[in-house]
Amino acid sequence: MSEHENQAVLDKKALRAQKKAEKARKKEEKYYLASQWQLMARKLGRHKLARISLVILGFLYFVALFGDFLAPYSLTDYDANSKDLPPSAIHFSHDGKYVGPFIYRTEKQTVKMSVAEKSAAQRAAKERGEQYVPPTNIVTDETTPLRIRWFVHGASYKILGIFESDLHLFGVEGSAKVFLFGADSMGRDLFSRIILGSQVSLTIPFAGTMISFVLGLLIGSVSGYFGGWIDNVIQRIIEVLNSLPSLPLWMALSAAIPAGIPPVQMYLLITVILSLISWTGLARVVRGKFMSLKNEDYVMAAKLAGVSDMKIILKHMVPGFMSYLIVNLTLGIPSMIIGETSMSFLGLGIQAPATSWGVLLKEAQDVSSIAMHPWCLIPLFFVVLTVLAFNFLGDGMRDAADPYK
Amino acid sequence: MSEQQEPIIQVRDLHVSIKMDEGTLTPVRGVSFDIRPGETLGLVGESGCGKSLTSKAIMGINEKKCHSDGEILFRGDGGQVIDLLKLDPRGKPIRAIRGKQISMIFQEPMVAFSPMYTIGNQINECTMLHITRDKKESKAITLEMMKKVGIANAEKRYDQYPHEFSGGMLQRALIAMALVCKPRLLIADEPTTALDVTIQAQILELMQQLQKELGMAILFITHDLGTVAKMCDRVAVMYLGRIVETGTAREIYKYPRHPYTRGLMGSVHKIGSRKLDRLYSIEGTVPLALNLKPGCGFYDRCDARVEGTCDQAEPDLYCLEGTHCAACVHCRKEEKAK
Amino acid sequence: MSGKETAAANESKKPSPGEKDVILRVSHISKRFTSKGVCVRAVTDVSFDVKKGETIGIVGESGCGKTTLGRCVVRAIEASEGDVLYTARDGRTYDFLRLNKADMKKVRKDIQMIFQDPYSSLDPRMTVIDIIAEPLRANYPKMPKAEVEKKVIEIAKKVGLNTTYLKRYPHAFSGGQRQRIGTARALILNPQVIVCDEAVSALDVSIQAQIINLLKDLQKELELTYIFISHDLSVVEHISDKVGVMYLGRLVEFGETEQLFSRPRHPYTEALLSAVPVADPDIRIERIPLQGEIPNPANPPSGCYFHERCRYCQEKCAREVPQLQEVDGRMVACHFAEELRLRGFDYDQDAIDKKKTAAEKE
Repeated sequence: MSEHENQAVLDKKALRAQKKAEKARKKEEKYYLASQWQLMARKLGRHKLARISLVILGFLYFVALFGDFLAPYSLTDYDANSKDLPPSAIHFSHDGKYVGPFIYRTEKQTVKMSVAEKSAAQRAAKERGEQYVPPTNIVTDETTPLRIRWFVHGASYKILGIFESDLHLFGVEGSAKVFLFGADSMGRDLFSRIILGSQVSLTIPFAGTMISFVLGLLIGSVSGYFGGWIDNVIQRIIEVLNSLPSLPLWMALSAAIPAGIPPVQMYLLITVILSLISWTGLARVVRGKFMSLKNEDYVMAAKLAGVSDMKIILKHMVPGFMSYLIVNLTLGIPSMIIGETSMSFLGLGIQAPATSWGVLLKEAQDVSSIAMHPWCLIPLFFVVLTVLAFNFLGDGMRDAADPYK
Repeated sequence: MSEQQEPIIQVRDLHVSIKMDEGTLTPVRGVSFDIRPGETLGLVGESGCGKSLTSKAIMGINEKKCHSDGEILFRGDGGQVIDLLKLDPRGKPIRAIRGKQISMIFQEPMVAFSPMYTIGNQINECTMLHITRDKKESKAITLEMMKKVGIANAEKRYDQYPHEFSGGMLQRALIAMALVCKPRLLIADEPTTALDVTIQAQILELMQQLQKELGMAILFITHDLGTVAKMCDRVAVMYLGRIVETGTAREIYKYPRHPYTRGLMGSVHKIGSRKLDRLYSIEGTVPLALNLKPGCGFYDRCDARVEGTCDQAEPDLYCLEGTHCAACVHCRKEEKAK
Repeated sequence: MSGKETAAANESKKPSPGEKDVILRVSHISKRFTSKGVCVRAVTDVSFDVKKGETIGIVGESGCGKTTLGRCVVRAIEASEGDVLYTARDGRTYDFLRLNKADMKKVRKDIQMIFQDPYSSLDPRMTVIDIIAEPLRANYPKMPKAEVEKKVIEIAKKVGLNTTYLKRYPHAFSGGQRQRIGTARALILNPQVIVCDEAVSALDVSIQAQIINLLKDLQKELELTYIFISHDLSVVEHISDKVGVMYLGRLVEFGETEQLFSRPRHPYTEALLSAVPVADPDIRIERIPLQGEIPNPANPPSGCYFHERCRYCQEKCAREVPQLQEVDGRMVACHFAEELRLRGFDYDQDAIDKKKTAAEKE
């Protein structure tokens, strides 16, 4: 009897081992049938930082895409009584009772002074050589809790540029406003502006990269394929472009942008300016890859088999360096983000009422305002986060770019 | 060779494993051998058989992810026996042995030298580290060694950079660097694979001549059966991380007993012998040393496999005559019969 | 010597030029590379005939121009001078290096190549079936898909590939299997001549034997002609009917394999043969030392390129370039080919065996 049982146990074990082997075989088979892109995705998936970065970037772009809905206020909303307000405190219970998330109305009010006091303060400011700013107090009305509500109606916008809507994810009852990240010097909600600014800051690099991608691919392959004097001329042009200091170049180019053009055109022009400088690196990568792939044995084998030159380029060479190109593009995006931010920071880029992270950082240009309103540095955090995420992702992709090694 | 002499190095049951995502790779699985002074042991096998990892384990220069187990007993100058595996791979004691008492020649001489320093400078580094602090004396020793390995114009060559040397000359310089401290054990990992036949012959003869002069032991690692026949006193054939057959060169070449050795011998055409119409070829390919099945590693490719025996347990090394041992069940029968 | 080889040897004694079964006549091929104003002659004035069904081995040390020669013959690179006269199946003879467009389409596919590195010679981004089918699709764009597939499977079976794995990518295959894929790709256009450039050098010994056997079987079955380029003399000896030895871009000796290996006529061949390590611990050949190193091909020595290193060198050698001349049934480029008695391998196996048994008794 026990022998029988033993046998059964053994059989079960054997069956399990068989199943395990089958599973391993299937996994192996999948690996063998995997194309280059599948292998790359596999390798990228093993890169922990790249994986995290991908999630973060996915989240940021999602937010940018549905920004108008997620941001409680529009770009033009401002409140003269909320200048430079710190982030609103969110409370949950009022008078010992739980009411859910709410805020108290908070406002800046001018301190009431007698005429004599006021003129004395004015005189003192004049002596110091400063402009007189009436002293203000932050006044919080703790009598009535103002509930934060989901899906409220507010300023109207077009979702994805198609559907008209005025629904916002959250908002406050009544006329008061909630400032999650504080307000700027004109009383505008920084949280909304960061979200809406990301629509510019996160997409300009993409558009710019696309332009430099086309330019780099075209010029790089011409350079690599023809070689000789054409290659020489192109390389010298690249060197000249690379040796130009980028900041003065931006300034010169943006001075050429006529004032008062609509924000959309402005946006496009800035992209073009950025990409006109950044294609050079890409062209070099393409050229180098072209030259090394030209000598690969499989390219020669195709040539011997009578495959036409055009087909060799399209079928063997372009796919050969495509992965490297994408890596380079990914690693190029951060510099574009920084470029746009710096341009806007210097006042050369996006103009009001449109905004971007660089424009928002303009508020943080002097030390005293950072000391008084530290929340104006919050956009910087998002710039750093995005740039780091792109860099880590690019890093992971570089490791994965050649899955055959 | 000299049986009475104590072996310089005794490798005992050496295992090397590498942890990977898919599981644990075991490229070396229980390798044991001895080398005596003045003797050359040839470690032969195809790529992936673990021969290079074995030599690197002796030098303690395996990558960090490699884990070595077992014993590598090295007999130092004064007769004391040290287990090299127990030493910290970055510690002082092993560094005193590495380079001084055990040194290594690599396959690619071009990569072994730094392009930024002169050849003389790089050989000198070794002498300055291990032999003498005196710069003049050190240079004299270096020059003497360079002359010994057949570098003509040694004084001029001393101040030249690696790119000014040809492949053969560079390999000579590499040998000079390896031998300048008069090591007791030289590990040569495919030292002539990258060289042309005429230069290969020169280098091999040079190594033999220097061995006679200095009395060192050589661990000669290669996949080329021709050079092994020329160089080695004893041969150990490796397959899938284990030594499958060992014996004197003559025993291995004339009377190979393990089916793998026999296959290997049959698959090279012996130059200058009668032409056979076909070469013997071993079917299939070397499996990856990952999640190995029980039984003999050669089972799937063997043409003498016995079902029910060979696929059950890995055979031990059975000794036949003298030093000739083979890890095959067919040899066990013979051992018993004796 | 086997019967077949004796027959081949007899045939060679007939006057060969103009003979019907010469399939490829390589004549006076030269290739110069110019870089930064320095002209390097990689191949200088190489000529030889290849007969149908033969294997020609080309040996020499690195930098001797054997790979360049092979690439010139298949037109992977263009030769600077010389012709390759190819007799196609229709009996017409074409100058392969100067084909017009129509002929090119017809004849190009008849001469193919197998590469050295089984890793870099297959595009990692294509499945095996696409790799093997690529030449077909390029040459017969109108061929229906089913027929392409049928042909690929047929050829894959021929080279010993498991046909269920054809949808896989090259990374799923080992070096030996990859070399089979490369062979299948070279064979699918049904070529007459295949240039094997170090086709087995990158492989392990046991895999080498598999591929060599495969090449031999295919040769018998498809009546292929091989030009087998390798630095490995023992492989070349095994596979070739005739062997050409190159030194510094020139062909120094060309003849029947056994004849050349047993009684070389050029001092370089002699030195080369004496340096080969034999896989037999009992055979100890005394090496003939070569002085110096291979000269710089950009600045070759005067006269005979080998004279500075030759132990039989005389004053005439430094002056005059020796031409390939027929001596003792083969072509040799040496002024003293007739007089010199050079040492090669002793093929008399019985004598070797006797010597060994005598030694054992001692």
